[in-house]
Amino acid sequence: MNHDIIVETINLSKQFGALVAVDNVNIKVRRNSLHAIIGPNGAGKTTFFNLLSGNIEPTSGKVMFKGSDLTHQPVHRMIHHGIGRSFQITNIFPNLTVFENVRLASQALEKSNFKFWMNVSRLEKCEYRTWEVIEKVGLKERAHAPARTLPHGDQRKLELGMILAPDPEVLLLDEPTAGMAAEQVPELLALIQEIQKTGNKTVILVEHNMNVVMSVSDIITVMHLGKVLAEGTPAEIAANREVQTAYLGGLYELNV
Amino acid sequence: MQKKAFSFFHNNRASLIVLFALVLLPFIVGLFEGASPIVVWENQGGISKFVEGLGIEIFILALYALSYDLIFGVTGLLSFGHAMFFAVGAYLTGIALKSFALSLPAVIGLVFLAAILQALLFGLVLPRVKGITFALVTLGMASMFHIIVTSSELGNYTGADVGLQGVMVPSFINPANERLRFYFVALVVLILIYLLYQRFVNSPTGRVCVAIRENEGRAKMLGYNTFAFKLAALMLSSFAAALAGVLHALYQPIVSPNVADLSFTVTALLIVLIGGVGTLSGALIGAFVYRLLDFGLRRYIGENASFITGTIYVAFVLFIPYGMVGTWRLKSFRVAQGWRRLLAAFKT
Repeated sequence: MNHDIIVETINLSKQFGALVAVDNVNIKVRRNSLHAIIGPNGAGKTTFFNLLSGNIEPTSGKVMFKGSDLTHQPVHRMIHHGIGRSFQITNIFPNLTVFENVRLASQALEKSNFKFWMNVSRLEKCEYRTWEVIEKVGLKERAHAPARTLPHGDQRKLELGMILAPDPEVLLLDEPTAGMAAEQVPELLALIQEIQKTGNKTVILVEHNMNVVMSVSDIITVMHLGKVLAEGTPAEIAANREVQTAYLGGLYELNV
Repeated sequence: MQKKAFSFFHNNRASLIVLFALVLLPFIVGLFEGASPIVVWENQGGISKFVEGLGIEIFILALYALSYDLIFGVTGLLSFGHAMFFAVGAYLTGIALKSFALSLPAVIGLVFLAAILQALLFGLVLPRVKGITFALVTLGMASMFHIIVTSSELGNYTGADVGLQGVMVPSFINPANERLRFYFVALVVLILIYLLYQRFVNSPTGRVCVAIRENEGRAKMLGYNTFAFKLAALMLSSFAAALAGVLHALYQPIVSPNVADLSFTVTALLIVLIGGVGTLSGALIGAFVYRLLDFGLRRYIGENASFITGTIYVAFVLFIPYGMVGTWRLKSFRVAQGWRRLLAAFKT
């Protein structure tokens, strides 16, 4: 058993009818690394991500976390194992305040969730943690605003706050910068990097934005048609011929 | 410490004034008909006794609507079988008192057990069906219950189609002789359940229930076993609804199969819509408005009253979609929007 590997997939496959969305994917994610998964549209990134986070069950294969099999865990157990996930499409509680959104996220690990006679503000640790996270993602001024009233960029920050609150070891970020204004992206990236470095976290992210991926990742896995096409450091990936034709090439063609 | 106690009174002054008024109401009404408070106390007043009766009916209805608001308004579970929660309490009380001559504490214990069981019954389908499907499955369950209580095989116990007549009410709480006492018992039960629900909504469990209403998928992803929380809300709701059923059986003292009917579930839904979905206090105000409207229109207009009540409900939905309490909190009463909604309904 290699203790350096925190998340591992073994022959992971998912089939939707005739379509094999994820085909025998074997990925090893090193502890405390920032691991990006890229690929052209339809490469199976999102399906792969849903398999990792337990949102869908694989047709075959396994998802291993710290040496134990999490393949058939119900989705609500994942955070209790230390795996948190954010969504590409902002997925929050729109009518609740920013504070409540984050508190619900940190409250999940409390043991007194069924004390229905107790006021929720008496969960002091949870309250403290909530303020800590809100401050970290920079939403302190908007803490008591309903989440739906936030601009999109702030909602992305809230989404990040909600995944940070329970302090998971592994963060699965599904296009964290999706739909953000270009000038806001570096700020969020710096935040993600800081969290990963100072908090000793493992980050697995799916991203479309090549600049983002190239500048922050330790390891990049390129997926194509449900399979792993290549894996390596950003420099290796940029130099890889196959990747250039399958993905980067295609991208440049689109830009022309 | 003193300051804290004072601020409690200050913060809840509106509720406390209403409570105070409700306690004094029978005596004040008594004064109008020339009956001294002592006469009212001894249940000799005429109109005061009548007003107490109306009050009791409103309290029971409010308790029932409150229990519906907990699952529908707070947790977001649309149940069309809520009447069963009430009817089980009512029928069980009636049968236990009439056919088995059990004592009242034993009856209440039995009803609590039944309340747990019926919540578990709804809980059985909870992980499998969502939204409108849950509504239909619960409707099916309640309809089965309705068929069972109206079946002639059980007629000896339930009175079949006619309903259960002549419930043996213990004399110390018999509404015929001790109506003022019954009035206060119903009021106290309602207040206790209301306070319990308020605490629930602001508890860790209650906040998760609200999160489930807002976005269940996300609540799951955050790490909540949402089934357990929905079941907790169902349990708490079932308790209060069954308790309302007990009071109903004791007060009437007959149990008609109408209380197991779909239309009685719709009554709860209407009350909650009038008062404001998910506000809890809206259920109390809604019950008050509903019962008085129903009573007043029936008395002065007669059988055609339901046409007017229907129109009023439609107006409610169009002009104050957040209900009375919800609109008050949002301070967003806009007449023009209501007309626009009305016009939109006629456009094709």
